Amino acid sequence: MKKVVFMILTIMMVAVLVACGNGDEDSVDDQEANDETEGTTNGEGEAITAWAWDPNFNIRALELADQAYDGEVDLELEIIENAQDDIVQRLNTSLSSGTTQGMPNIVLIEDYRAQSFLQAYPDAFYPLTDYIDVDAFADYKIETTSLDGEQYGLPFDTGVAGLYIRTDYLEEAGYSVDDVQDITWAEYIQIGVDIKEATGNNMLTQDPSDLGLIRMMIQSAGTWYFEDDGSTPNLANNPALEAAMQAYRELMEANIVSMVSDWSQFVGAFNDGDVASVPTGNWITPSITAEESQSGNWAVVPFPKLEVEGATNVTNLGGSSWYVLNSDGKEAAATFLANTFGSNEMFYQDLIDEIGAIGTYLPGMQGEAFEEGHEFFDGQSIVADFSEWTEAIPAVNYGMHTYAIDDILAVELQNYLNDKELTDVLEDAQSQAETQLR
Amino acid sequence: MNKLLKKNNIGWLFVLISIVGISLFYFYPMIDAFLLSFQSGMGANLEYTGLNNWLRLFDDPTFISALTNTFTYLIVQVPVMIILALVFSVMLNDPTLKFRGFFRTAIFLPAVTSLVAYSVIFKYMFSGNGIVNQFLINLSIISEPINFLTDSFWARIVIILAITWRWTGYNMIFYLSALQNIDHSIYEAARIDGASSFQQFTKITVPMLKPIILFTTITSTIGTLQLFDEVVNITGGGPGNATITISQYIYNLSFEYTPNFGYAATVSYVIVILVVILSAIQFKVAGDKE
Repeated sequence: MKKVVFMILTIMMVAVLVACGNGDEDSVDDQEANDETEGTTNGEGEAITAWAWDPNFNIRALELADQAYDGEVDLELEIIENAQDDIVQRLNTSLSSGTTQGMPNIVLIEDYRAQSFLQAYPDAFYPLTDYIDVDAFADYKIETTSLDGEQYGLPFDTGVAGLYIRTDYLEEAGYSVDDVQDITWAEYIQIGVDIKEATGNNMLTQDPSDLGLIRMMIQSAGTWYFEDDGSTPNLANNPALEAAMQAYRELMEANIVSMVSDWSQFVGAFNDGDVASVPTGNWITPSITAEESQSGNWAVVPFPKLEVEGATNVTNLGGSSWYVLNSDGKEAAATFLANTFGSNEMFYQDLIDEIGAIGTYLPGMQGEAFEEGHEFFDGQSIVADFSEWTEAIPAVNYGMHTYAIDDILAVELQNYLNDKELTDVLEDAQSQAETQLR
Repeated sequence: MNKLLKKNNIGWLFVLISIVGISLFYFYPMIDAFLLSFQSGMGANLEYTGLNNWLRLFDDPTFISALTNTFTYLIVQVPVMIILALVFSVMLNDPTLKFRGFFRTAIFLPAVTSLVAYSVIFKYMFSGNGIVNQFLINLSIISEPINFLTDSFWARIVIILAITWRWTGYNMIFYLSALQNIDHSIYEAARIDGASSFQQFTKITVPMLKPIILFTTITSTIGTLQLFDEVVNITGGGPGNATITISQYIYNLSFEYTPNFGYAATVSYVIVILVVILSAIQFKVAGDKE
């Protein structure tokens, strides 16, 4: 008898708990239902949400897209700003638990991470192949945003890189802008040494934990951390990587590098005039031009190249693309993207005019906005230059583990700077990568 | 019915609530995480791989450096902090000291600051053109700024300094309150017998505080094993994994790289195992029979 009562009590407790849970869900559903009915009665159309980071860039781009949207279906776009790390984290936790509840319809993902999401969560994303003209976008973007012949990402900004350089410092050291066009890393280092002698300023900043420079160098030579399959590590016997590591070490040994440990120090260094050049992606333009007192003293020239086979003066750093989650509202979200980022040429002009964002939709990359000279860069039409380079960026498969390899290489790079043999460095990195990425 | 409500049944009923809660929110996730530690794969595509994850630990250089870093912090920082906290508490317990309240508050204050906020401040203090470098340059102790955050040796020192600053006051409070329970007559008797202050400290204070010292050592050890915020915010684990901790590695495995929750769970269980082993050792060494 005692046991029976005990059982009954237990069951009652559990029932109460379960009821509580249900109650909550019901109320949420009710609320959602209310929202929906409200939405339709107001005639606001289907609601879609989008997550992105950087209010001055990606969020602004979304707002412009919202204004530019002229499709047949009425849409109500809600833009939510999240830090990139938070987006990555939330996507990972939600998608791995197999739910899309609380997830947005449209999400921005950095290209280096795209394959990781696409492959780790098959069916979580909605293919856009039927919505956009894949051939109209820059090749190198398609490579990273598609999987098994299906196009999942709508390519957005280009991370096309250039060498931002201080023309006044160059002159002080006896150089002109022409002397830094299409140079090699060896020439770059020589110029850096001369500038340091003449002005006392370092040539560039580096963060030892951020291998962006190495990544840019190897992509400029058409290779990556991986073979073309995107999963076999390609570190040992990779001549471009070898040359990149050597160039990095020479930079360090020439004593022309200011060490920084985060973004604000990085920006502070060139804003304060402590460094003569910034080799990085074009998205740095707003940060460079933020220091108005330096107006007219900057130029953008092609990225220095490695001295290996297949090396070029164009490369890429970062850049991201839009993805649609495979949940309710996916068609509407895909239509919205296709109507704006996927086909609207005028919209791309606005992107340039309003926020200086350079897209990768080739038909949209011409016109007045692109040719206009930029006062800050002494009249140079940097947008035209960047778009021209964008088309020539060597396409590589970023694979799924770029950041994992980055961390392995960052350790080995320190060892190399401390006089470990380069071949050993790369072979050790290779074997570590192979064990880690099994 | 009356009979049923008698005895302990009502008591059990009350206990049941927490039992259900704890099982649901503690034991179930623990067991699930343990099962997860035998699985591997990307994101949602997990499958059982037997002991592979556990074997992988042994030839994973990142894990090994995370483990060594964590132990470096543990071995260097915990004793320094415990001794400092002890010394401070004894000094601040001296009834003849003026402004005792002020000093106590000042030393305890770091413990109430947000982990992220103080980490960011430390980061700026020790940056290339930060206040510490400027101070040292102005005093002509150094001629070129020290790369505190981008040099592996200095980066570790900065982390140790930061956590010591943050947690010393916290531990001091435990000692201070325990000191209130030591009978004054013991010290009086010691003084009459001619014991010096130092002897009083080592022969009376420390033995009397032993259970508290054990407690703080264990909590500090566990805290150090779970170290995350400071490292992520001050150095980001760099340069080249020189300051990475186990917790940060778990985070990286789950959210920074292509997620492998299975292997991340394995690494998490390593922390559990370490906490159990270290606590057992500390109990043993402290010789506490209870």
